[in-house]
Amino acid sequence: MANTVVGSSIVIDGEISGEEPLTILGTVKGKIAVTQNVTVEPGATVEADVEGQTVTVSGKVTGNVTAREKLELRADSKMVGNAKAPRIVVADGATFKGNVDMDV
Amino acid sequence: MADKETVIGVETRVAGEIRGEENLVVKGRVDGKIHLTQALTVEKGAVVQADVDVRALEVSGTLVGNVVASESVRLLASARVVGDLASPRLMMEAGAAYRGRVDMGDIEAARAAVAGRAVVKPATGAAETAVRARPAPPRIAAPPKMAALPSTKMAPKFVAPAGSERASGSTPPAAPPAFPRVAGSVGNVAPPWAKKKIRRR
Repeated sequence: MANTVVGSSIVIDGEISGEEPLTILGTVKGKIAVTQNVTVEPGATVEADVEGQTVTVSGKVTGNVTAREKLELRADSKMVGNAKAPRIVVADGATFKGNVDMDV
Repeated sequence: MADKETVIGVETRVAGEIRGEENLVVKGRVDGKIHLTQALTVEKGAVVQADVDVRALEVSGTLVGNVVASESVRLLASARVVGDLASPRLMMEAGAAYRGRVDMGDIEAARAAVAGRAVVKPATGAAETAVRARPAPPRIAAPPKMAALPSTKMAPKFVAPAGSERASGSTPPAAPPAFPRVAGSVGNVAPPWAKKKIRRR
């Protein structure tokens, strides 16, 4: 398993950077900058600027999100911050507050 | 698996503090602090530059920082570790490189916990206990020995002082052949050179 997983009871205060998929079930504060997909699972809390290929949010994100490919806000997700991505998907039930920049 | 274990992948770097109540496996890199109620595994190829406070620690990779492990520390053959270790149990495989200080605290308590199993490899564990054991016994044992000496060992010496002490005190190699020949006259025949040496004392 080459992925990085932040478990549900884990709190990371700082910066996560890398070149592989990142899955967050716990809490991350600070900054996330990876070249692969970022998944914020249900119950997870992210208080950080997020940068990734495809960013999928099912939990809670507070911070600016930049996705090179796609940003997906799933149902029951909650996001506060600016979103920047060429493609953005917001599911029914998602909560979002912030600016959207799709580079148009 | 994802629920029980946190993994920092090979291509991932975390700079900052990681806290939690589950196992953490580091295959990539972590700089900062790691504070867990469970186990930390630093895999081969991984680099951790952090102060570590965990229940159990297992290192196959590189770890730089001070470690407190409430249960055990295990350094495998490929481990490269620099920093102080504090843990009741320490296991170190041949080939592991380590520099730092080790504090195993109450070793007897750790032994009781592991009783029956020979898990605590003697490599460092035994050395540590041996070093600690040495200073203690002399403090207790020395006084009785000193007290016992005069009555037992000293007594025999005084019983045969004249013959034995002079013979051994003067010149051992030359004296023995000389005395038997002059036998019969015992103490009086002691050669002048022997008397002189005794007088000096």
